Amino acid sequence: MTVIARKPAGPGAGITVKAPRKKGLLRRALRSKRTIVGLVLSLLIFAIAFLGPYIAPHSPTEFVGAPFSPAGVGGAFGTDNLGRDVLSRFLAGGQTLMILSVLATGIGVGLGALVGVFAAYSRGWVDEALMRTGDVALAFPQIVLALLFLSIIGPKLWLLVLMVALGHLPRVARVVRGAAMSVVERDFVKAAESVGIPRWKIMVGEIVPNLSSTLAVEFGLRLTYSIGLVAGLSFLGLGMQPPSPDWGLMINENRVALTVSPWSVVLPVAAIALLTVGTNLVTDGLSKAAIGSNEGVEA
Amino acid sequence: MNAPRRPKTLRTLTATLLAAAMIGLAGCSSAPGTSTAAVNSTPKDGGTLRVGIVGGSAKDSLDAHSPVTHPDEARVIQLYETLATYDVNHKVEMALADKITPSADAKIWTVHLRDGLKFSNGKPITANDVIFTFKRITDPKAPMAGANAFSALNRDGLKAVDAQTIIFPFKTPFATFPDTVAQYSTGIVPVGYDPKNPVGSGPFMMKDFTAGQQSTFVKNPYYWRKGEPHLAAVTIIDFPDDTARVNALLGGQVDAIDQLPLGQINIVKANPALKVLESATGSWVPFTMRVDQPPFNDPKVRQAFRLIVDRKQMVEQVLGGHGTIGNDLYAPFDACYAKGIPQRSQNIAKARQLLAEAGKTNLSVDLVTSSAAAGMVEAAQVFAQQAKAAGVTVNVKKVDPGEFYGDKYLQWNFSQDFWFTRDFLPQTAASGFSNSPYNETHWDNKAWSDLVNKANATVDMTARCALIQQAQQIEFNDGGYIIWGFPNSVDAYSAAVQGFSPDKSGIPLTSFGFRSVWMNK
Repeated sequence: MTVIARKPAGPGAGITVKAPRKKGLLRRALRSKRTIVGLVLSLLIFAIAFLGPYIAPHSPTEFVGAPFSPAGVGGAFGTDNLGRDVLSRFLAGGQTLMILSVLATGIGVGLGALVGVFAAYSRGWVDEALMRTGDVALAFPQIVLALLFLSIIGPKLWLLVLMVALGHLPRVARVVRGAAMSVVERDFVKAAESVGIPRWKIMVGEIVPNLSSTLAVEFGLRLTYSIGLVAGLSFLGLGMQPPSPDWGLMINENRVALTVSPWSVVLPVAAIALLTVGTNLVTDGLSKAAIGSNEGVEA
Repeated sequence: MNAPRRPKTLRTLTATLLAAAMIGLAGCSSAPGTSTAAVNSTPKDGGTLRVGIVGGSAKDSLDAHSPVTHPDEARVIQLYETLATYDVNHKVEMALADKITPSADAKIWTVHLRDGLKFSNGKPITANDVIFTFKRITDPKAPMAGANAFSALNRDGLKAVDAQTIIFPFKTPFATFPDTVAQYSTGIVPVGYDPKNPVGSGPFMMKDFTAGQQSTFVKNPYYWRKGEPHLAAVTIIDFPDDTARVNALLGGQVDAIDQLPLGQINIVKANPALKVLESATGSWVPFTMRVDQPPFNDPKVRQAFRLIVDRKQMVEQVLGGHGTIGNDLYAPFDACYAKGIPQRSQNIAKARQLLAEAGKTNLSVDLVTSSAAAGMVEAAQVFAQQAKAAGVTVNVKKVDPGEFYGDKYLQWNFSQDFWFTRDFLPQTAASGFSNSPYNETHWDNKAWSDLVNKANATVDMTARCALIQQAQQIEFNDGGYIIWGFPNSVDAYSAAVQGFSPDKSGIPLTSFGFRSVWMNK
């Protein structure tokens, strides 16, 4: 990879640290139209999910009409399989999906980054052991692993988050390790080592900040996967439990009446689709902007 | 909902412990078998009916006496005929037998076979075949689905008086014998019967069979009902998935399907090439409260929960109006059903008061549910919503059908179950006594048990009805079931198919009565 600029760092060396790298990355990414479109889409869906419950016309569990009433009869978008207002359930049903997805992504990317940096910084047998274990974990498709544990232990939300996060861990660790390999060789790391800064402080304080672009891109990418996974597991009945409103669950409950009462399926499907497209576009823009930024992302 | 509606054990029970107190009918000679179908046109002979049926697996069987899934039931009904059967109004009518007569104390039953009956291989059906059949069902080493119902049968005393007459002796009075031999899992098979190469007494014979996939049956030329079956062949296809089954009907790959999902009723109704077969049934999807565990060991809590339910809203929201409301009593089609008990309706104020008296204000309970039968999860959600009004928090816990009917089945504190149409006495044998195999509520009431036992041994219809109604009153006051309604059975078929008619049994497609069906194309 081409080194365009060296990022000065290292408190021990007394060099001023330049912090606003990430802001710069976002600003650069926003020059591209697709990032803006992606950001608007994502923010729109996030806004629906978080503000929706306050503007919903009915309680999400209130019965307002006969089951599967067409749009206009029970409510603006009809009623669901139990005669509840589709619009209200849609507005109330996104919040948990978002929170779970962001949590799972945060935990997965956070732990993955630590493992990746630790492997890259340790080298030797520790690196080998961690990466080969990761290879074994990668052999299991994420959804299969999640299904396995959720069906054995039962549909618990903490487990759902944990399984999605653990699914991300080896994938993130592998990417971060690759990016960190070049960072650990840099002079500021050597400098920090020479003044006796503890290894964990070097990892957290010196190496990780230099991987911010990689982590931002990974976060976006894994968030997209998380949304799909969490919604998919809810659809399969392993996420949110009835009668709570939830987009994945809504699709499952109402898919049988797709032709009679389409909105109860179309609304959550469209929201999940737009959200994943949105986060993907933003991630795409970030990764394009990060190319050549010397933050561990390769072209 | 695509799994078989209940696990093997319960299905077995469904198949066998049914029966109603029908002594009056039992002694009478029957009219010869007549088609129960609504006559839409003159029946035509020939053609193949292709039917898509819920469920089925690699464990599918052709055994006359151990049907488990819906496709199994559909197959045994085609292959084997029973001594008696149910008409569409859930009344017993004679089939292979033309007379079933009790002794005065209902301990000895005499069955007389019709003249000229033959198996599908042309050999005559005799008293020895009937004895072989019931000995096979009740074999203590390998009891079949119906064995429980015949627990009072003195097997060794089964006797052929002549080629057409059999004596069934019982250790205790057995008033519901005709119902018990009307169960589809008591089909008559020949001596030396081999389920792998099934020789049967039913309207059709096996042509081919692939477990978990499909089976084809052709007309049995020796079938006893004149003019039936009309069809040359029937193909039964297993469809575990609801959407696939409906699509097969819409696409013309099958001519009839069972259990049309609620959301599809209007689609099928809007299609002139398809028809919906809807039957009011006595099937029930109760909430079950364990009467021996807190908080439900306090009758006031049970009464409060029963008053929380808005039954009309349940039927509207859960069944889309395709059902009838219940009064916390099962067996609505039983001739003795306690019609005099006033309909219970929602009364939140009273429910709150009862809960307060029981010291259970702000009660929070878990309700274990599963998509084991259509409407269960939905009913749980509606109940949770209704309970809020009475200050009761109901946490719906959805588990998969395997876990639901697994080790903890019958141990859940507050849960649900599913039963087909059944008359009062057979239902009590299945779920009302402390030693009943499926007593979900752990109901064990001495006064009630005495009344029911007395009813079982009472041959006089009026006297028996009085006893049954007293027992029902006890259950209405103190029982552990919340019976909010009876879902209709809804099937669909192509307009080219004629001869299906509504049927109260809860068993789909006119109790899989393909013998009286014909193709009009």
